[in-house]
Amino acid sequence: MPFNGKSGKFNASINTVEVGCGEKAIKIGGENVLPFYTFDAPIENSPKVGVMISDLGLGNEPAGVKAYYEGCTTMADIAKKAAAMPGADFVCLKLEGADPNGENKSTEDCIAVVKEVVDAIDVPLVIAGCKNVTKDSELLTKAAEAAQGKNVIILAAKEENYKGIGAAAGLAYNQKVGAESAVDINLAKQLNVLISQLGVAPSSVVMHVGTAAVGYGFEYVVSTMDRVKAAALGQNDTQLQMPIITPVADEAWNVKESMASEEDMPEWGPVEARGIGMEVSTAASVLASGSNAVILKHPTSVATISKMIKELM
Amino acid sequence: MTLFDRVFGGNDAVYGLTEAAIDKAIAEHGADQAVSFPGTAYSLPCYYSVTGTKVTNLGELKEALGVVKTLMTREKRLNDAFMSGVATALCAEFIEALKYLNGAEPYSEPLYGHLPDAIIRELGVPLVTGDIPGVAVVLGSAPSKEEAVELVKSYQAQGILVTLVGGVIDQCTEAGLNMGYSVRIVPLGKDVTSVIHVVSVALRAALIFGNVTPGDAGNLMKYTFERVPAFVNAFKPLDDVIVACGAGAIALGFPVVTNETENIFRVPKSLIVQEDVSKFNATSLEARDIKIKITKIDIPVSFASAFEGEIIRKGDMQVEFDGSRKDCFELVCTKELTEIEDHKFELIGPDFDTMEVGSKQQIAYIVNVAGKNMQTDFEPVFERKFHSYINCIEGVMHTGQRDMIRIRVSKASYEAGFRAKDLAEVLYANIKNEFDAVVDKCAVTIITDADECTKLRHEMAIPAYDRRDERLVSLTDESVPVYYSCIMCQAFSPSHVCVVTPERLGLCGAVSWLDAKATNELDPEGPCQVITKERVIDENLGRYEDVDEAVQKFSRGALEHVTLYSIMEDPMTSCGCFECICGIEPCSNGVVITNREYAGQTPLGMTFSELASMTGGGVQTPGFMGHGKHFIASKKFMKAEGGIERIVWMPKDLKDTVAERLNKTAQELYGIENFTDMVGDETITTEPEKLLEFLTEKGHPALGLEPMM
Amino acid sequence: MALKGLDIFKLTPKTNCKECGSPTCMAFSMKVAQGAMELSKCPHMSEEAIATLSEATAPPMKSIKVGAGEAECTLGGETVLARHEKTFVSKSRFAVRLTPDMDVAAAVAEANKVDYDRIGERMHAEMVYVEYTGDAAAYAEAVKKVTGSGKVIILACKDVEAAKAALEVCKAEKPILNGADASNYAEMVEVAKAAGVVLGVTGADINELYDTTAAIEKLGYKELVLDTTGANIKDTFAMTVQVRRACLDKNPDRTCGYPSIVNLSAVAPDDEAMQIALASMFILKYGSIIVMDTMNYARALPLYGLRQNVYTDPQKPMKVEPGIYPLNGADENSVVLTTVDFALTYFVVSGELERSGVPCNLVISDAGGLSVLTAWAAGKLSSTSVSKFIIENVEPKVKSRKLIIPGKVAVLKGDIEAKLPGWEVIVAPNEAVQLVKFLKDMQASGQI
Repeated sequence: MPFNGKSGKFNASINTVEVGCGEKAIKIGGENVLPFYTFDAPIENSPKVGVMISDLGLGNEPAGVKAYYEGCTTMADIAKKAAAMPGADFVCLKLEGADPNGENKSTEDCIAVVKEVVDAIDVPLVIAGCKNVTKDSELLTKAAEAAQGKNVIILAAKEENYKGIGAAAGLAYNQKVGAESAVDINLAKQLNVLISQLGVAPSSVVMHVGTAAVGYGFEYVVSTMDRVKAAALGQNDTQLQMPIITPVADEAWNVKESMASEEDMPEWGPVEARGIGMEVSTAASVLASGSNAVILKHPTSVATISKMIKELM
Repeated sequence: MTLFDRVFGGNDAVYGLTEAAIDKAIAEHGADQAVSFPGTAYSLPCYYSVTGTKVTNLGELKEALGVVKTLMTREKRLNDAFMSGVATALCAEFIEALKYLNGAEPYSEPLYGHLPDAIIRELGVPLVTGDIPGVAVVLGSAPSKEEAVELVKSYQAQGILVTLVGGVIDQCTEAGLNMGYSVRIVPLGKDVTSVIHVVSVALRAALIFGNVTPGDAGNLMKYTFERVPAFVNAFKPLDDVIVACGAGAIALGFPVVTNETENIFRVPKSLIVQEDVSKFNATSLEARDIKIKITKIDIPVSFASAFEGEIIRKGDMQVEFDGSRKDCFELVCTKELTEIEDHKFELIGPDFDTMEVGSKQQIAYIVNVAGKNMQTDFEPVFERKFHSYINCIEGVMHTGQRDMIRIRVSKASYEAGFRAKDLAEVLYANIKNEFDAVVDKCAVTIITDADECTKLRHEMAIPAYDRRDERLVSLTDESVPVYYSCIMCQAFSPSHVCVVTPERLGLCGAVSWLDAKATNELDPEGPCQVITKERVIDENLGRYEDVDEAVQKFSRGALEHVTLYSIMEDPMTSCGCFECICGIEPCSNGVVITNREYAGQTPLGMTFSELASMTGGGVQTPGFMGHGKHFIASKKFMKAEGGIERIVWMPKDLKDTVAERLNKTAQELYGIENFTDMVGDETITTEPEKLLEFLTEKGHPALGLEPMM
Repeated sequence: MALKGLDIFKLTPKTNCKECGSPTCMAFSMKVAQGAMELSKCPHMSEEAIATLSEATAPPMKSIKVGAGEAECTLGGETVLARHEKTFVSKSRFAVRLTPDMDVAAAVAEANKVDYDRIGERMHAEMVYVEYTGDAAAYAEAVKKVTGSGKVIILACKDVEAAKAALEVCKAEKPILNGADASNYAEMVEVAKAAGVVLGVTGADINELYDTTAAIEKLGYKELVLDTTGANIKDTFAMTVQVRRACLDKNPDRTCGYPSIVNLSAVAPDDEAMQIALASMFILKYGSIIVMDTMNYARALPLYGLRQNVYTDPQKPMKVEPGIYPLNGADENSVVLTTVDFALTYFVVSGELERSGVPCNLVISDAGGLSVLTAWAAGKLSSTSVSKFIIENVEPKVKSRKLIIPGKVAVLKGDIEAKLPGWEVIVAPNEAVQLVKFLKDMQASGQI
């Protein structure tokens, strides 16, 4: 008597969201099974891998990242090189220089970078803010305008600033809205409801349900994503059926494991290998928990994770 | 003359002008001459959005006029008047379009005329966010240029976008007012027809931001009514044309406020006569239901949560208001909208200046609120927030509540200029901001006069508190129409759902039915949702189809059935924040209750934390249930199993805390006096056998009840 | 469907005899229902009651013990597919792959460089996976070298005679014999039975694995683990998930109710990054034993961090030890900050403090492992608890008298000041991310 496993196919499915335009446009979401459960039903759109670049250039990047971009002098160069990274499906431009507690670059300066990058590449683009809600609400509104016609994801609208960013990205300039909440299924749902009340179509929304590096309260991330997918697929909760995008690079490279130098922690060995370890581990974990796209930065991580996805599809 | 006559007359006049103008233009330029506004993809935006048809040349414009004519029906019904208003607006658009023939630039500094699509996309965002809380259309000439400027500036100060049409533009120019899009004052044009350029903005916003299909007039009007917070201020004299245009504005949901009194017809909420121009602002905001956000509280000291725990010591104290020695109170009163002037402040008695340094004084503050959705049940909810509001003021400390408050103001804050009006300002701004969903108007009265404080405390405050307490007592599960869910704890207890009823508050002890109700009204998408209770299955168990459905929904399928009043059959789940846990004690046929503060053993053989690990986490554990302390004396406490007479043991401290109320309930339900004397505690025993002996000796009623299992 | 405590209680003698170790029959029943105690601990249960209950209380997935002495560990015994439904119980274990042609001792020594403590949990590769390569003598020799190393040995060997020989060397250490397949299972069961060790079952695909397992169960042997490694990554994931899902279904298929082994060295050879990625996935999705090429810090830091997170009981958050944690080279004159002992709060706060570069002493007092606001609401973080801890533990060691408290409990400021004479109490921002700027500003203005 052979194994008689029940299919875990659901009647409901995740929304399909298209990002970018032309031949290189990508679709995320659309599945009606748990992550990578291709044995239950085929998954049409494989999870996608994005490459993160920063408006601050390469100054703070680990050696392997710098080496990959060697010879790039402008943001356009960097963006092109990122788009060409083996395994990359899209590029994420992070406008971290806008942070009032950091460089505090003006919105105009940041928008100039957005325009430069938009003009340089033909792969889909995600534009991420500096995480300061006040600055982001102005910056990302303008970014949505500057990238008109490119069908980008604006990351992210949060509870504090969803109205402006949601209206600009989702209504005025026909982009996709990234809805960011803090690792809690009810907050994620509430934000989706609020954004839909603005009039933004569900097919124009992707969720960023919050993340952490593995080891740093990551169980909340796993449980939040598990529950979001269970509600979306099992309970047909339409306000949670948006695909999930998870920026991994920032979290994974910002913890002690990826930052402490080999001089400080000789027994830990080379810092770059640790950073890659944190990045691929976090990325694989959020993908296994339900992310439909991840944003990474190291070429080895991008190659590994995209290969893993291909192997699993 | 009736209003209909005026609208129809004005409409006919404009139609005649339009027809003549189009004919003249065709005669001059030919029917193929292109017609368009610059910088828009929406042709003649008003006509396009209402009909779905794009007009490209003069010939088509003429045809379009024929379509407009069909709107101009002449029955004396409200709808006919509105449609004629819309027709007037469309005619105005045609006249304005003709001005742009052949690439002409009919408007020049400071006038804007037609506004391009780019401005609408840009404007749309702050309109959606509320950063631009409204759009004022000011039309005609104010009685004086000073009044004109004052009105415009009052809107500007509130962040409202002001568009100007007609004589008011010259008045503002003469007064030297700085105008322009960047300062949110946009002079459109001097002809009354130029008003169409702001209507064009509203309608294109509906197409771009509301995804309204051009030609879907119903949804178009719905969108402008619900989402475009515009209103019209029209100065007298109003001719028929303006009245007809006004009908168009009203059709889109924009109220008209005017100081015209001759030959005008008041329409509630839509056509409002306000003779005092200085009150145009307040009247308009109220009519259009616009609420202005307060971003900064205007007081001479800081206001932040960092000051919440500050303690003002005697030596640092300028003045103290002490409810234990003097007559003090704080009170929220619900009023009618017409009874309150928003943001009014009144001080009865001396200000802080004349109070002796370091002295004890009396103070009372009455916060009057009004709103269409305000309910008196919210009063205590607001009042409870006063403590935190006042404590967040730098150099001010607040303790207590109701008429037992104590407030200290530090010398430093006094010297920085902190006075009674600043206290009022803090209360006003916070109430308006936090409760904007239900508070439309708020006014604060502060009383420092000793006699007034004494009088009002006894005549007003205490009766109000008594009324509320009676209301609380009278609230029963049967007397209310709905219950509420609470899922605040799902962050750590994913499948847990509290069903909050008047007699069974949330098991954390912190969320009463009134709190849940207020939370729901203030944040309709939030953690507290209405649960209906119409389809009862079993009244005794407290089993309802509606409740089961709600619990299934909010637990995302993890729970299927709960009862409100039983701990044996589908008891309510527990998150982890319960104050108490009760569990059945089989020897005595009763239940043992223990609370979080009590770490010791219970006759169940399990401590609070052992019980908590079994009952927490949103799972149903028959025989065990988490609950709030307050629930112990409720008549609904495990009512299905016989009620509170099942209670056989409690930790002593807990027993003392609930004794008075529990004994009262026992007296009412069973006629038992001093019930708690029959209930064991840890000073008597924690052994089940000894407990049984004790209960037998006391004749505890649980021993005679039916077995629970 | 698990039994409720009351159902069990009804079948107990209700005498509160305490012979089971619980004070009352009710307490005993509740513990059995939770799986925290075995039914057999009650000496007075009737035969009938035991028969009724054991079927219902038997877990759908077996708990399997492997290894001996300190190396002993429990695999399986899971009851849910997602940790939020209750909790995961037996954490994934890591095995280092060895072959007889390697310098086995050196490889073990290399892996053993990773052995550290993370929030009270020892982190190291608990197992070795010794692969048979055709030479029985060399195999036994290699196995011999790993005995006594404190690791659970997994014998990856399908040759019956070689397996017997290897077991002779190591059976006292309770290894796993991962060697049964469709062709040899009957003999392998005998070998495993004779040595008293857990048997690993393999199959070309899920059907063969299932049939072989069913056949072994028929032979009466149920000390099993299932090697769900397939021909490639995709098959391995599919098999691992399907097996676990079948045994935790509402109608459990107990033939699938055993722990799993996934061999990443087989499906992603020599690819460290890929092995880390896959190991992460199998920590989340049902790998009981994960075999990799080696263990080093690049692998350990993410994987053990992830494992610790995921195997935390959602009801019992991780706690850090109360104490003074000097950061950024802090000394006795450095400013003091305090927060709760909830591990996540500690990690987030200490991470931001490290990022600020400002020397400071982070003081953690016992707050029941709750987050700041929860602890405050529950009375576990109060002016008394903070001031008591400071007076008893901090004042003797630290000279600084500036104390920064979490912004969310600004309300405690005055009370703490009153209870800590000589201290200046400063309120921090509400969110940890704002700490960097806050501290840098304080440093710039000379406040600290």
